[in-house]
Amino acid sequence: MHLRIDDIGKAWSGHTVLDGVSFHAGESDFVCLLGPSGCGKTTLLRIVAGLTAPDRGRIVLDGRDITALPARERRMGLVFQSYSLFPDMTVAANVSYPMRLRGESPAAIATHTGQWLERVGLGALAARFPDQLSGGQQQRVALARALAANPSMLLLDEPLSALDPAIRAQLRGEIRALQRSLGIPTIMVTHDQDEALAMADTIVCMNQGRVEQIGTPRCLYERPRSRFVADFIGHANLLPTPFVRETLPAFLERRPPGADATFELCLRPEDLVIEADPRGEGVIEDITFLGNLARANIAWRGRRVLAEFPGRSPLVCGEAVSIDAVRGAWVST
Amino acid sequence: MSSIVAPRAVARPRFGAGLLLALPLLGLLLFFVHPLLTVLWRSVTDAHGAFTFANYGRLFDDPGLPRAALHSLSIGVATTFTTMAFGLCLAMALHRSRLPGKFLIRGALLLPMLAPSLVLGLGLVCLLGRNGLVHRLTGMPTDIYGFWGLLIANTLYGLPQVVIIVSAALERTPARHYDAAESMGATPWRQFIDVTVPRLRFALLAAAFLVFTETLTDFGSAVVVGGSYRVLAMEIYSEVVGQLDFAMGATLGVVLLAPALLSVWLGRLAKRRQDSGDASPGRALIPARHAVRDAALGTIAALALVPVVAVVGTVAYVSVVKLWPYDRTLTLANYTGGMPDGYGPVATSLGVSLLAAVVGVVMIFALAAGLRRASPRIARPLQVLASLPAAVPGMVLGLGYVLTFNHGALSGWFYGSAAIVAACSLYHYHAQAFLTMQTGMRQVPDALEDAVASFGGDTRHVLRDAVLPFAMPAAISAFFYLFMRSLVTLSGVIFLVTPGLGLASVAVMRLDENGFLAQAAAYAMCVVVAGALALGLMRLLLHVLKDRRHVA
Repeated sequence: MHLRIDDIGKAWSGHTVLDGVSFHAGESDFVCLLGPSGCGKTTLLRIVAGLTAPDRGRIVLDGRDITALPARERRMGLVFQSYSLFPDMTVAANVSYPMRLRGESPAAIATHTGQWLERVGLGALAARFPDQLSGGQQQRVALARALAANPSMLLLDEPLSALDPAIRAQLRGEIRALQRSLGIPTIMVTHDQDEALAMADTIVCMNQGRVEQIGTPRCLYERPRSRFVADFIGHANLLPTPFVRETLPAFLERRPPGADATFELCLRPEDLVIEADPRGEGVIEDITFLGNLARANIAWRGRRVLAEFPGRSPLVCGEAVSIDAVRGAWVST
Repeated sequence: MSSIVAPRAVARPRFGAGLLLALPLLGLLLFFVHPLLTVLWRSVTDAHGAFTFANYGRLFDDPGLPRAALHSLSIGVATTFTTMAFGLCLAMALHRSRLPGKFLIRGALLLPMLAPSLVLGLGLVCLLGRNGLVHRLTGMPTDIYGFWGLLIANTLYGLPQVVIIVSAALERTPARHYDAAESMGATPWRQFIDVTVPRLRFALLAAAFLVFTETLTDFGSAVVVGGSYRVLAMEIYSEVVGQLDFAMGATLGVVLLAPALLSVWLGRLAKRRQDSGDASPGRALIPARHAVRDAALGTIAALALVPVVAVVGTVAYVSVVKLWPYDRTLTLANYTGGMPDGYGPVATSLGVSLLAAVVGVVMIFALAAGLRRASPRIARPLQVLASLPAAVPGMVLGLGYVLTFNHGALSGWFYGSAAIVAACSLYHYHAQAFLTMQTGMRQVPDALEDAVASFGGDTRHVLRDAVLPFAMPAAISAFFYLFMRSLVTLSGVIFLVTPGLGLASVAVMRLDENGFLAQAAAYAMCVVVAGALALGLMRLLLHVLKDRRHVA
């Protein structure tokens, strides 16, 4: 299965929601559409699902243009944020629904329903109704139901955002493991960068209806191309070119050509090397202790930067420090 | 645990609850429970006041009574089926189609709410009666009196109520259920069966019970188009007004009360089940393009609503005719002096309705506000009591008023006054107004009440500064509901009017009985127009309030 999204555009009553979005998802890829709310990622997912028609652009699945195909003929498995189970059907009836629609034999339906419920670890709850389940269990049922349709792709619309943090982390792993073992290409919409970093093979980072950057989680974190991506994924210290020229001139070598204002240097907190030094130019303003790690705001030549170091470090508030950086990426402003 | 809960209970002043509840409770006991018990008592006592079931035995002496019961039942069942079928299609047309001109559907559906079943019956007679417009124009022999007339009049009357209930359930069905079904390959028809219908089950049940009860207890259309097809409501009227057999009237009233109580109870049960579903809002639902579906729904909507417009239109037309049906010269004479009692009955009706609405809204506000603070032990039974009038047919309550107040302490000034008519209307329509008010008051945040109390405000301040701003839209709705219902009601007040106290709805009935259809139509139109004006005023007020207060 190979999905190609080609120059998709969509406007709602004059307001542009998607402006020429393109990306592709390969065999068994897990793609995350990541971006702040209102960036158009959910609209894009609905367009892929066939629930919303794009104004322009094409959707090609395995070489076949499916842009005009109605949702019910696309065979995409959909999981929504929450509460999309039919409230008046039992868990088993929800999961077997797509198979019943296809008119499979009752024996096959019963077998497969059981298998899918076992796979998501809910075999014992088949006779319950959705309102008797926890949020995490409901989403597992929704996942089993989407997969029971034997879909060509899995589309997940913020499936974890309504859940408690602990359940969220657990389900994150379960979804990823299930997706890997089935080898089904998957697109997940999320606004949670941690979720995207933890789950995705490829992240499509979106902002205001456009794609900002596409790449592996590592690529986006270590080599963000734009200020938006650097800011949105992880913490970023963004330093203007003149400042870098004075403080960290070594980084200028790798700077792309262009006026001072066109690029900034992005330093992740852990890229900064902080050492106690009475003659250092930085002063620690405050320290947040996080256990294994500690984060400090450091006043540095009229700027403030965020640095991260081991929690055991003896550095204290008000101490003078020297600052250096081991890695950094130039981002366009 | 209790140490956490306790301070809250203290912070919420309870001393005001008793005071707030006292007057509304007294009203309910005096003007609802007492008359109802009197009817019950009268049905099980003989002329000397001794306990007996003989009255119930007498029901079978007259073969007319079992036949009337059978008629009532047939009409009830048939009306329920046709109203549900058309009502469901209309609600679907409003919420699940891309039909243009939905405002026309909404507009036409307002008509039966402004025109009581009596007026719809009158229009039907003028249109399809033996001397009706259709006969006059085409020469076709038409005779609408009887089963079919009752079926049509009651169906038209029940339509808006079914549409309102079903629409509410349709609006509560989240769009994502359709998205999920669609993505799994469900066709539009399967989506209707698997997503729409299950969410409508309880709404349909509740609506069906409501229509059945209303039809069973309806007096307005029975008296106008029933003809020789006698139903129970007509029998009660004959027993009481014709033969002055109050015991028999009371017994028939209890017979009518039983199925009404049962169906209202079942309807409430159904409503509770329905509310337990998730109501989390989501994306607004935009129906997909589907020409066949829209064409079918549009056709059915036209089939249901053209008669509504035609019937009310006929009443309007007849009201400006010189001598219906013989001299159809257009004239305004019926409005400028042709009405036998002038505008007196209309003025009385307006006055009675205003009295019922003003007193009613104050009592109901106090009751709902008091219940917010009352302990559950008191609140529960009061809640049931306040909603119970929905189950009591107007005729039964009216009969209760006659039996209760035509002697005793209040008989002197109260009996035969406008006040007794207002009281009867108020308590007949108490339940719906109360539920409206209570729903509005649920939006008052507890914290706001607590805040006023913590600043040292007493019950008065809490009501004025915290409760009233939020409850105002509901209060306005409840006020106009009581006003408009009181304006058109006939069944409740038919036993209470005296020669000195004419009401517009009663005038319509009397004039129709005596064949003065044009004058009857003129009175009917006065009622319809007054109702329309009240409705317009209500919408204006709610709109202004929404702009000003930001809480509506």
